[in-house]
Amino acid sequence: MAAPPNASSAGQSDRILTMARAGREAVISEMRKDSKVFVIGEDVGKLGGIFGTAVGVQEEFGFWRAIDTPISETGFIGIACGAAMAGMRPLVELAYVDFFGVCFNQIYNFAAKTHYMSGGQYKMPMTMMIGVGGGYNNAAQHSQTVYGTFAHMPGIRIVVPSNAYDAKGLMHSCIQDDNLTLWMVHKATCGLGWLGAPLKTAMAAVPETDYLIPFGEARVWREGTDVTLVGLGLTVHHCLQAADLLAASGISAEVVDLRSLVPLDRETIFRSVSKTGRLVVVDEDYLSFGVTGEIIASISERDPRVWKAPPRRVAYPDVPVPFSRPLEDFCMPDAQKVVAAVKSIMVSQ
Amino acid sequence: MTDIRIPPDLWEDDREGVIVSWLYLDGAIVEAGKVVVELAVEKAQMELVAPTSGRLVILAAADAIVTRGQVIGRIE
Repeated sequence: MAAPPNASSAGQSDRILTMARAGREAVISEMRKDSKVFVIGEDVGKLGGIFGTAVGVQEEFGFWRAIDTPISETGFIGIACGAAMAGMRPLVELAYVDFFGVCFNQIYNFAAKTHYMSGGQYKMPMTMMIGVGGGYNNAAQHSQTVYGTFAHMPGIRIVVPSNAYDAKGLMHSCIQDDNLTLWMVHKATCGLGWLGAPLKTAMAAVPETDYLIPFGEARVWREGTDVTLVGLGLTVHHCLQAADLLAASGISAEVVDLRSLVPLDRETIFRSVSKTGRLVVVDEDYLSFGVTGEIIASISERDPRVWKAPPRRVAYPDVPVPFSRPLEDFCMPDAQKVVAAVKSIMVSQ
Repeated sequence: MTDIRIPPDLWEDDREGVIVSWLYLDGAIVEAGKVVVELAVEKAQMELVAPTSGRLVILAAADAIVTRGQVIGRIE
């Protein structure tokens, strides 16, 4: 299984990579192995992708394998779908997930359903690289995660790495998969200078060799006995920070990182909650009709006797993401909100 | 022992830069020519490679404000 996500001792030739760099390494490696893999989207060529996932790709592979497109998501995602049906393996840069509104028909009516609707005659080996999330005052149209919106649609595999090691392994798995896959990375974790200093816990020792991380395998970052904290992407880091704070108050928290949203590793979550009896799901997507509710429902459906206390959700309030910093901070999940949610259910015992 | 110095012409004016991240831990063995550090000046990101092989000593940690020409580490 996976190496520990954070290197703790020096002396080895372990490289500590940011997520952007780790993802890019997988992209470049797959492109060297398979000439059918190419990158397409806004600013992927000269700039190397707004979130840095394609830096150096056009330089190494030339214009036709790192195609800069006009600002027409419907157009270039349509091109990628057609290329995938014809046997290519496109990597599409959607940049900000919020832009899905422009091109959702291509994504969910076309890319997600063609394999099924063609009776398996056409595969859709296409990966979308997507930046998600807020916390840096980019307002309501550039700050959402909308995980639930995509996870709700059958036919799409979705990964949400929380650290550089997973970012690379999951990118390899996405590119090698014959289905539409979404590689969704929270901007606060990707480690780009213009988004502030990289989050230390998102950087990780990353082997230079290729490796795959299977879809649908959550990771338990930290074991605990009193409460299970489930997160994905950035919220894993809130959970880890909360677990430290809770430990100081004598509460032992287990932290589960989903890594894949679809398929979802319900088994690992259930096993953890069976042990702790308490659950706080931490998600930056909107509270209602989303990931948090799905996870809680799947535990209750399987065995409601595991609950020692009502489950809690720390998620985004059902409002557009505010531009104002104080208002955005008020809305964003963070470690303090996780701690408060845990304490509310520990008290009820 | 070789210094890792920000080239005096890496960016154009006297703006301050910042160390975004080191790709290796302090004390790691690095190979000549491999990228060891990422810097940013406003929104532009840059990288520096190890000038020689050896043990990395980090002098300016991630988040440190740096200027052109500054020695930010060395290879021993």
